[in-house]
Amino acid sequence: MASKFGLAGGIPERRVRPIWDAIDSRQFKNALKHVSTLLAKHPNSPYAHALKALILERMCKLDEAFSVCLNAKELLFTNDSLLMDDLTLSTLQIVFQRLDHLDLAASCYEHACSKFPNNLELMMGLFNCYVREYSFVKQQQTAIKMYKLVGEERFLLWAVCSIQLQVFCGNGGEKLLLLAEGLLKKHVASHGLHEPDALIVYLSILEQQAKFGDALEILSGNLGSLLMIEVDKLRIQGRLLSRAGDHAAAAAIFKKILETCPDDWMSFLHYLGCLLEDDSLCCAEAVKDPVHPSKFISCKVSHLTDEEFDGQVSNALDFVQKLQADPVNNSLRGPYLAAIEVERRKHLRGKGNDDSLMDAIVQYFCRFGHLSCFTSDVEMFIEVFNPVKKIELLEKLKEYSDSLTTLPVKNLGQTFSFFKIQQLLMGDMFESSASELEVCCAQMAEIYCKSVAFSKDLDPQESMQGEELLSIICNLLVQLFWRTKNVGYLVEAVIVLEFGLAIRRHVWQYKILLLHMYSYFGALSVAYEWYKSLDVKNILMETLSHHIYPQMLVSPLWTELDSLLKDYLKFMDDYLRESADLTFHAYRHRNYSKVIEFVQFKEQLQRSSQYLVARVEAPILQLKQNSDNIEEEQGVLESLKCGIDFLELSNEIGSKSLTFLEDLQSRPWWTPTSEKNFLLEPFEGISFCPRRISTNERETSCKRMIEKRSLVPRMIYLSIQRASASVKEIVEVNGSVSPNICSELKLLLERYAQLLGFSLCEAIDMIMDFPSGERFSEVVGPNLIDWLNFTVFLNAWNLTSHELVQPDEKESTPHTWSILDSLLEKYILEKVKSMESEICSSWSDVQLLIQIVTEPLAWHGLVIQSCLRSCLPSGKKKKKSGSMDHSSYSLVHTITNSVQHLSSIIEEILRWIRERENTPEDKNVEYIISSFNNNEQDGGPGQMFRILESFFSAKDGAELGDRISQSLESWSPADVARKIMTGKHKVLMEFSKICESKLKSLRSMKQQIAQL
Amino acid sequence: MTTIRRFCCNDLLRFAYVNLDHLTETFNMSFYMTYLARWPDYFHVAEGPGNQIMGYIMGKVEGQGESWHGHVTAVTVAPEYRRQQLAKKLMNLLEDISDKIDKAYFVDLFVRASNAPAIKMYEKLGYVIYRRVLRYYSGEEDGLDMRKALSRDTEKSSIIPLKRPITPDELEYD
Ligand SMILES: CC(C)(COP(=O)(O)OP(=O)(O)OC[C@H]1O[C@@H](n2cnc3c(N)ncnc32)[C@H](O)[C@@H]1OP(=O)(O)O)[C@@H](O)C(=O)NCCC(=O)NCCS
Repeated sequence: MASKFGLAGGIPERRVRPIWDAIDSRQFKNALKHVSTLLAKHPNSPYAHALKALILERMCKLDEAFSVCLNAKELLFTNDSLLMDDLTLSTLQIVFQRLDHLDLAASCYEHACSKFPNNLELMMGLFNCYVREYSFVKQQQTAIKMYKLVGEERFLLWAVCSIQLQVFCGNGGEKLLLLAEGLLKKHVASHGLHEPDALIVYLSILEQQAKFGDALEILSGNLGSLLMIEVDKLRIQGRLLSRAGDHAAAAAIFKKILETCPDDWMSFLHYLGCLLEDDSLCCAEAVKDPVHPSKFISCKVSHLTDEEFDGQVSNALDFVQKLQADPVNNSLRGPYLAAIEVERRKHLRGKGNDDSLMDAIVQYFCRFGHLSCFTSDVEMFIEVFNPVKKIELLEKLKEYSDSLTTLPVKNLGQTFSFFKIQQLLMGDMFESSASELEVCCAQMAEIYCKSVAFSKDLDPQESMQGEELLSIICNLLVQLFWRTKNVGYLVEAVIVLEFGLAIRRHVWQYKILLLHMYSYFGALSVAYEWYKSLDVKNILMETLSHHIYPQMLVSPLWTELDSLLKDYLKFMDDYLRESADLTFHAYRHRNYSKVIEFVQFKEQLQRSSQYLVARVEAPILQLKQNSDNIEEEQGVLESLKCGIDFLELSNEIGSKSLTFLEDLQSRPWWTPTSEKNFLLEPFEGISFCPRRISTNERETSCKRMIEKRSLVPRMIYLSIQRASASVKEIVEVNGSVSPNICSELKLLLERYAQLLGFSLCEAIDMIMDFPSGERFSEVVGPNLIDWLNFTVFLNAWNLTSHELVQPDEKESTPHTWSILDSLLEKYILEKVKSMESEICSSWSDVQLLIQIVTEPLAWHGLVIQSCLRSCLPSGKKKKKSGSMDHSSYSLVHTITNSVQHLSSIIEEILRWIRERENTPEDKNVEYIISSFNNNEQDGGPGQMFRILESFFSAKDGAELGDRISQSLESWSPADVARKIMTGKHKVLMEFSKICESKLKSLRSMKQQIAQL
Repeated sequence: MTTIRRFCCNDLLRFAYVNLDHLTETFNMSFYMTYLARWPDYFHVAEGPGNQIMGYIMGKVEGQGESWHGHVTAVTVAPEYRRQQLAKKLMNLLEDISDKIDKAYFVDLFVRASNAPAIKMYEKLGYVIYRRVLRYYSGEEDGLDMRKALSRDTEKSSIIPLKRPITPDELEYD
C-alpha cells in the first residue's frame, strides 16, 4: 500500500527519495532542508510531518520532534480524506517509540483501524503496538479480529499466545486457558494445524490444565507428524505419560529414546524415575530456579514395596548393562554413570551398601578417570557419603591409581582427576593440617610441570589438561594464608597463577582468581585489567560482572567504574527496549512457543538486582564526581530530575521480587557472593564457610540497600536547597523558607533511619550522644557510611528547623554541625592512623576511608558551599554593608571552623598517602618477594614457586617447546611484585587526586569567606 | 551423559562457563534472540550431569535457489568436555536438519584462519575450504569459508573451491 502508484504516504515517491537518502547517509541537516521544501508543498501531509519528526529525533532535538509528531497525529485524525497508510503510521510509530510514547503510537493505529476496519496490514501494525506495550488483552482482541477476518492459523495462535501471556505474565486467571483450548479445538476440527510450533503451544495449553490424556491423544494422532525430530516427540510423550501417572508406558518411551541415544542423561533419569514411580524430576523441573538448576538429582524415596523396588532396579540394571555392552556405545559415559545412579537409588532406599556404590564409582574412574570431566560427573553422587566414607573412597581411588600401568597420557589424566576429586572428597581439605596441605600442593606442582612438558606441542589455542592443578594449588595457598595470616602464601598464590598465564595466557579460571587476589591487595587497577582481559560483554555482563563491581563501586577509579556502569546499563536498556520487537519477530516467524519465553525472560532481567543497583549507583557516581563544584552538582541533579525518579524506585522496590542472575559458581571459595569475603574474617574452620547461599536473605538485604541508596540523590538535593534557604532566612530576616523542603527532608530522614533499624528520634539521640558515649561506634558497625551520610543530611535539615537546638545554645550554630565535623574527623583519622603501612595488608580499611571522603564528606562539602553561596552578596541585590547580624555571624563562624577542620583532615590523608608512596619501589618489591621466598627448608610459603622455577629453569627449548621457553624467558616474580605495587599506587594516586581536588575546593571556600 | 535439546533464553544466563573461552564470541542480545525467533531448530545446547552446560551450536538456513544452505554461526564445547565427539554430534544434528527438514544444498561456516583445532575438526567432519575471506574478523584476521555438500547437491558442485580469496563485501550473506 505504501508505494501504490509510486506514492509514499500520499506523496510522489521521487519527492521523498532524496529525504530517505539523506537520512540513510546521516546527513540530517540536509534531510531537514529537503523536508522543509516538501512541507511547503504538502503542508497537511502527515507523512511529511512524520519524516520531519524522525529527522529531528535523530538530531536529538527531542522536544521539537515530539511536537512535530503531535502535529502529524493531529492531521491524521482530522483530515478524513487522507489515506491512512502504513508507511506514515509506522514512521510515526518509530518516532513515538523513541520518544517513549508508545501509547500515542498505538492510538494512531487504533484510529486508522477504526476507519479501515478490514485492513489487515493496519491491524498487524496495531497488534505490534500492543506487543510493544505488553498489553496482552488488547493483543488478544486484535488477533481475534484478524483471525475472524481471514481465518488464518497464525492469527489464532497470536491470540492464543496473548492469552497464555495473560495467565503467566499478567493477571489473567487460569480459566482463560480453557478459552484458548476451545479456540484451538474448533480451528483444528475445521482446518487442522500446519505449524509445528502451533502444535507445541496446543499441547502446552492442555498440559497446563493437566489434560494429559487429551494431549497424548493429539500427539499420537495425525498432528503428531508435525514434529519432525523424533526424539523431541518422544520426550514430550514420555513427560505427558509420566505426569498422567502411566509410569509403565512412560518408562517404555524413555527406554526407546535411550536405545537410540544411550547417552541422553535426562532421559535416563526420567526412565529410572518412571520405573520407581517417582515423578519428582518432572515436578522439580517445573518449579526449580531455571537459571541456577540444582547440581543434584532430585528424587524421593520410592513408595514401592521391597519386591517391586528390587524388580524395577534389576530391570534398570539389565537395561543399563545392555547399553554398556553395545560396542558402538563403548566410549559413552552415560550408561556407566547410569549404573552409579542405580546404586545411589538403592543406597537411598537403604538397600545397597556403601561398598557397591563406591565400587561403581571406582569402576567409572577406571574407565573415564582420564577425562577432565570425571570429577564433575561424579560430584553429585558422592554427596551421599559421610566424611569417613568419603576418605575410604579416596583411598580406594588412590589404591587403584597407584596400581596403574596404562598409557602415560591416560595415567596423567587420571592423576589430575585424582587431585580434583580429593579436593571434593576432603571438603577442600579444611580439616587437614597446614603441612598436609603443603605436601599436597607440592605434589600437584610437580605433576603440573610434567604435564606442561608433555603438552609442549599443543596448539596455544587449546586448553591443556592439568591446568586445573594450579587453580587448586592457589585455592589451598589462599586457605593457608587464611589460617596462618602469613601473607607470603597469598603472594605465592598470585605468583603461581601469573606463572601459569605466562605459559598459556587464555586460562580464564586463573584470571578470575587473580582478580580477586589483586582486589584483596588493593591493586584494583590490575584486577580491572584482568577483568577486561576476560572480554566480558553483552549478557555476560549480567552473569559475570559481580566479580569486579563491588570493589569498583567503592574505589577511586571513577573513569573505569563509569565505563563499567555505562556499558552495562546501555546493554540492559538496549535489550529492554528491543525486546518487544524481538518478540514480534517470534510471532511473525511462527515460533509461538518462543513468545512466552521471550516475555518471561525480559521480566526476569528487568528485575535483576544487579541492574537495579547499577541504576542507582550510576547517578551517585556522577554526584561524587561533581561534588567539588556546587554549580556542576546542581546541573547533575537537574538532569536527574532532582532525584525524584529514584525516590519512586525506592518506594517501589519493596513490592518487587528481585532476581539474582549472577553466575556464582565461578567465584573463588573465599568469596562465595560479593557480600562475603572470608579472608576479612578470622579463620574458624570449614563449618564457617558454607558454599550455598540463601537467596531470600540476599534479596532482603539487597532490597534494603537499594531502597536506602536511591534516597541519596534526593536527600543531597534537598540538603543543598535547605542550606541555601537557611542562610536566606537569616540574612533576609523576613525571607521565607519553603516548608516543603523541610518536611520532605524530615520524611526522608525518617525513612533512612528506619532502614538503618531505628526511629528518627532514636537515630538523632544516638548522634547527639556521640561526643560523650561509645554507643555510636558500637551501633554503626558495618553501616558507618550510611550513618555518616545520615548525619550530613540531618545537619542540613537542622540548619533552620531548630528542633534540635540544645537548650543552652540559644539560636547559635546548630550542635549537629560540630558533631558531624568531629565524627568525620574521628573516623578518618582513626583509619589513617591505624592502617598498617605494610604493603600487603588488607585493603578494606582504605576502601572505607575512600568512601568517607567521597560520600559523606563530599555531601557535607556541598552543604557548606550552598550556605556560602547564599551568604555571598550576589551581583544584583547588594547586601547592606555591615548588616551581618548575630545569627549569620555565628553561621559564618561555624563554616569557617568547619572548612578549616575538613582541610586539615584531608591534608592528613594526603600526608599519609605520601608517606606510603615514599618507600622506594625496589624496597617494596624486595619486601614482597621476601614474604614468600624465605628459603626455609621445612614449610612456609614459597615451596610451590620453587618447584616450578627449578623445573622450568632446568629445561631448555627442546624439552619445553620454543613457545613456552620463550614466554618464560622474560618472566620474573619481581615483575609480579612490581605489578602489585603499581596497581596499588595507581589507586592511591587517584584517591590523592580526589583529595587534592577537595582541598582546592575548600581553599576557594576560605577565600569566599574572606570576602564576607 | 549428554542431553541435547533446544536452546532457550535462560541458557544465556548459564553459558558463561562455555563462553569464557577466548575463541567463543558473545553476541549482543538481538542477535541471539533473532536466531531463537527465526531458527529455533538450528540452536541446540548440550547439557551434562548436574545440569552443566557442555556446549552449544547456533545456526540458520538461508539463501536462494541452489545456494539455499544451512549455516553454522557458532559451535563451542567447554574444555572439560572436549574430544568426546560432542561438537561432532551437534554438527551432525544441524546438518541433518538442513538436509532432511529444510532440504538445503550444503552447510557452510566461517572459521578464523588461526583456529587450527577447529579447522582440523571441520575437515574431519567432511568440510572443505571453499574460499578464503580476507580480513573477515574485525578487519584483521582472515576467515576461511568451509563447506560440506548435502544429499540434494548430488554433483557436489557447491563445494568446488574458489581459486582466489574474496573480501568481506563480496559475501552474499552476512
Ligand atoms: C572446536 C571444538 C568445537 C571441538 O569440540 P569437540 O567436542 O572437542 O570436538 P569433537 O570431539 O566432536 O571432535 C570431532 C573430531 O574433530 C577433530 N578434532 C576436534 N578437536 C580437535 C583438536 N583440538 N585437534 C585436532 N583435531 C580435533 C578430531 O578428529 C575429533 O575426532 P577424534 O577425537 O575422534 O579424533 C572445541 O574445541 C571448541 O569449542 N573450541 C573453541 C570454540 C571454537 O573454536 N569454535 C569454532 C569456531 S568457528
